[in-house]
Amino acid sequence: MAMNEQAKRRIRLERTYTASIEDVWDMWTTKEGIESWWGPDGFSVKVRKLDLRPGGQLHYAMTATAAPQVEFMKKAGMPLTTECNATYSEVSPPHRLAYAHLTDFIPGIAPYSVTHLIELTPLGDSVQMVLTFDAMHDEEWTKRATMGWEMELGKLTKALAKS
Amino acid sequence: MHVDVFQTLADPTRRRIVEALLSGEQAVNDIVAVVDIDQSGVSRHLGILSKAGFVQVRPDGPRRLYSLKPEPFRELEEWVTAYRRLWEGRLDKFADALAHKQKARAAKSKENG
Repeated sequence: MAMNEQAKRRIRLERTYTASIEDVWDMWTTKEGIESWWGPDGFSVKVRKLDLRPGGQLHYAMTATAAPQVEFMKKAGMPLTTECNATYSEVSPPHRLAYAHLTDFIPGIAPYSVTHLIELTPLGDSVQMVLTFDAMHDEEWTKRATMGWEMELGKLTKALAKS
Repeated sequence: MHVDVFQTLADPTRRRIVEALLSGEQAVNDIVAVVDIDQSGVSRHLGILSKAGFVQVRPDGPRRLYSLKPEPFRELEEWVTAYRRLWEGRLDKFADALAHKQKARAAKSKENG
């Protein structure tokens, strides 16, 4: 049998934009930038916390706003707003950004942590953007992402103890 | 879909064993020769692959022959397709938002003369 070539590889998407590399970087790494496009169609995003450094977290709320998405979430018995977290593993402005994110919004597919790598390269007056997604990241990565979560949970536990 | 599919393939040695089996059914010794770890290591990884549904085994006289099963790869392909489609949609939004940002700034710099 032949193993599917695409499944064997990581997912790779490539785009070129006529823009400065700083503008493209800002779209990924600032509150305004992220809120302007992040999230699937029909959802709006509100950044709650942005700690842009290796080990730091992006925390945001994703809310269904368009009618079909609102209806879908209601039918599925899910809340309209979902709290999401990503943990940065590499922050090298304005060229490389990597983070782990739990994917829990693909219908019929169980949540799984995926490594996202964004690479930006200036090409004259444009920028080449390459995205690589890897669900089969190595154990070291998984460990680091887990540590990030544990730190977060530790803080939460402390905060709850105080109240 | 099971998380196990990714966890199973996260290990580079198991990926090499899967690649070795792409050419067809093989005995443990053949796999040992290709992946360059000892027999007990290969057997252990084959056990994990078999438990996760990637590999099946059949006896052939004194030997046991291992081969790949298509199901988990089909699952992976579905996942890859869904994820790619999702991100293509998101990148359309990204392009629109970037154009909007540039236009807004151009208008502002014009205003300021």
